[in-house]
Amino acid sequence: MIGKRVVITGMGVVSPLGDSPARLHDSLCQGLSAIKPIQLFSTVGLGCPLGGEIIDFDAAKYLGQRNLRPLDRTSRLVGSAAQLALEHSGWSAEMRAAQEVGLVLGTMFCSLHTISEFDRRALEAGPAYASPMDFSNTVINAAAGQTAIVHNLRGVNTTISTGVTSGLEAISYATDLIRTGRARALLSGGADELCFESFYGFDRAGFLCRSNDSAGDFPIPFDTRRNGLALGEGAALLVLEDAELARERGARIFGEIKGRGSSYDCSRGRNGSDAVEAIASAIRQALSDAFLLPHEIDCLSASANGSQVGDRREAEGVFTGLSGQTHRLPVTAIKSMLGETLGASGPMQAVALLETMRDRVLPGIPQLKEIEHGFPLEMARSESRETDVTHGLINSIGLDGHCCSLIITGCDN
Amino acid sequence: MERRIVITGIGVVTPIGTGCEEFWTNLIEGRSGIAPVQSFDTSNYDVHRGAEVKEFNAEEYILNLDAAHLGRASQFAIAAARLALADAGVEIGSLDRKRAGVSMGTTSGEPREVERFDDAYVSKKLDRIGPEFLALYPCHVIAAHVASELNFAGVNIMIPTACAAGNYAIAHALDVMRAERADLMLAGGSDAFSRITFTGFARLGAVAPETCQPFNRFRKGMIPGEGAGVLVLEPFDRARRRGARIYAEVGGYGLSCDAHHMTAAHPQGDGAKRAMQQALTDSKTKPEDVSYISAHGTGTLTNDRLETIAVKRLFKDAAYRIPISSIKSMLGHTMGAASAIEAAVCALAVFNDRVPPTINLNDPDPDCDLDYVPNFAREMRVNVAMNNAYAFGGNNASLILKKRELLN
Amino acid sequence: MSTDEIRTRVKKSVAKITNISFDEISDNASYKDDLQLDSLTILEIAVDAEYQFQVKLSDDDLGEIRTVDDTVMMVQQYLSPAMV
Repeated sequence: MIGKRVVITGMGVVSPLGDSPARLHDSLCQGLSAIKPIQLFSTVGLGCPLGGEIIDFDAAKYLGQRNLRPLDRTSRLVGSAAQLALEHSGWSAEMRAAQEVGLVLGTMFCSLHTISEFDRRALEAGPAYASPMDFSNTVINAAAGQTAIVHNLRGVNTTISTGVTSGLEAISYATDLIRTGRARALLSGGADELCFESFYGFDRAGFLCRSNDSAGDFPIPFDTRRNGLALGEGAALLVLEDAELARERGARIFGEIKGRGSSYDCSRGRNGSDAVEAIASAIRQALSDAFLLPHEIDCLSASANGSQVGDRREAEGVFTGLSGQTHRLPVTAIKSMLGETLGASGPMQAVALLETMRDRVLPGIPQLKEIEHGFPLEMARSESRETDVTHGLINSIGLDGHCCSLIITGCDN
Repeated sequence: MERRIVITGIGVVTPIGTGCEEFWTNLIEGRSGIAPVQSFDTSNYDVHRGAEVKEFNAEEYILNLDAAHLGRASQFAIAAARLALADAGVEIGSLDRKRAGVSMGTTSGEPREVERFDDAYVSKKLDRIGPEFLALYPCHVIAAHVASELNFAGVNIMIPTACAAGNYAIAHALDVMRAERADLMLAGGSDAFSRITFTGFARLGAVAPETCQPFNRFRKGMIPGEGAGVLVLEPFDRARRRGARIYAEVGGYGLSCDAHHMTAAHPQGDGAKRAMQQALTDSKTKPEDVSYISAHGTGTLTNDRLETIAVKRLFKDAAYRIPISSIKSMLGHTMGAASAIEAAVCALAVFNDRVPPTINLNDPDPDCDLDYVPNFAREMRVNVAMNNAYAFGGNNASLILKKRELLN
Repeated sequence: MSTDEIRTRVKKSVAKITNISFDEISDNASYKDDLQLDSLTILEIAVDAEYQFQVKLSDDDLGEIRTVDDTVMMVQQYLSPAMV
């Protein structure tokens, strides 16, 4: 795709493994796991007691003494990540007053918890006692709207909801806007909160890993023993800018969005070869968009989250999409440590990849002992290792059909 | 040269009719779809009227998927999609499915699924809720179900920007097509009648007890509704080559954010004005060349007043010469579907040289002194139509549709 | 329930909703002009008062709520004699 070049000038992340890109990276490289017994709600009666919760999350730490009551957990996660990203990128309040900065947010649920609580209170106490303030957070674009108010983001404000791929799709959408000159600076990324309602849904759908109470054993992406995913939460936002604008204002440039691709598996996962082809198609589109060949990809940040079927399909889809050039491709799967953070997942992978490019260390997949026989991704390892990455491929693969791939290039290029 | 994108098909499911013809006929006649709410018991509420879709037979439109295993918003969306493709004369089997995509907007996704969850939770029978909750509830299923029904394997995206979502979805489809990532896009919005939405707006005191009277002096608020609108977007060259009927060109759009308040618009209509300005610039349209505006016009005291202010600030004297009507006076507020249905109406207005009325306008608010096409549809030349939509969270979107003749 | 008890509960609710400390909320401070609260927040305070005390205010009454004192008075008016 021709158009303006899109660079990354800042990152903000709120996660159980750190609230700065460097801290997150260090935790991932040490193989620390965020997957622990959940404290936010009771998991009695559910099949899995574990999740990647941000214990004692306190948005006041990032947003100061303003009244946060109108913001629910998801809005606070996004608002906090936005604060960090704006600081990191140098987009001060004065600059935002002079130049419209937008926000493109990916989220699978926004706050299902607020929606449910609002409805349940109306059911139990009567509709006259429904909370007006909670109602304003029952729309799926609430977190994006709240964050725009907190940070005076008057540019394009869009919410994208495509399941697991939401965050990466949001980054792709934002990239397109900048390429075509419709926007010059955008925050983009994703968020999802851990809550009983969505957790219950995943549990009943049979997606969650089966584990005893001991934390840290599961999930294990790509391992023969894998038995499901663990749900996590968090928010990650990149500041994307027109490369010219970034240079003009002397911004630090951490990387470039080189290519993007999306596709949809109409069988919604029921047909294995359709699913694999959809994954391959997204990768091919990203390569074509980036004007790169398969062998030029230096590492893969996989979407793999411990799902029996999903992980295998991704491996096959990557093999196909990269025309078989995967034998020497270093692979990581950070959902092994963060869990499946849904809308935040792709952007978290982007932040982690940018850190790998800076620090030249690729996190391993802890607990990985035995990759399935015949898996085409031989270079998945349990230990983190030194890796030079110029062009990195990130996958986001949904549970029911959506596929999105992004190629990021390091800043020296 | 940027690819020119046109609308070749329209499909709608609305409180005043399903399918383009029935809908347009009723719209021009000024029919109202507002009636007592049927889908749940409103005896505990102070308001009781809504704009629901009557007599919708999902099975008629859903041929590959199982209608019984889809939420209502997905059913509406599929129905509108099939109607739009039929209207466009597109042979689904002849499409390159990897280059056929779906871009949809919504406010609530599939609210009945979460309402079921909550009913079960509150009666301590949560074990009634099984794997179908995750499969049917998350809002992305709407675009996903449309694509699965039609075997469209290209772009698939859900943009849940509440009451402006339809415009956002159509705007994105325009971008996708201009970037040549697709050869055909279905774009629009869908929302099902939602107890949660009804409760919320009622609690805010925003729901009118009887009718929706945009711009009227004694207007009492909005009327929640449901429905879906889907447009078929194709490149102009392809549409012309296959002899398709071309309703209008999608000329451009503008998006902005108030960054002011979650439920109240900026007091000077700042965001609304910027979105309109961008849409004009994007479509290379001069303000005075706009023939007709489809207003957001919800019927609340604040929206109608602020929207009028924003239009006047942008168009200045020309504002008084541009007819601007609100079809929410007839359809109620169909949420994420609203601006998609309104975009369809703009396309029909451009095609037919006729604009729909704002009904129930017998005593205009002195602060609302524009030409709102009161009560009766009007025949007039419509070269350029602007479609405006504003949402919770301060999301503003304006779309410009142009007459096909202007393309040559 | 005494007027003071009602007032304390109302103020606690205002504090929770607005993040203004309990002690800084005076009885006759205007929600809008003195505490700088927007209409959604004021509505939330009113609905929370209704919920806590299980009373139902009319739309007109809701429009009359401008200060803590107003809120307390409105609640008292609606509370059944058994509760007062």
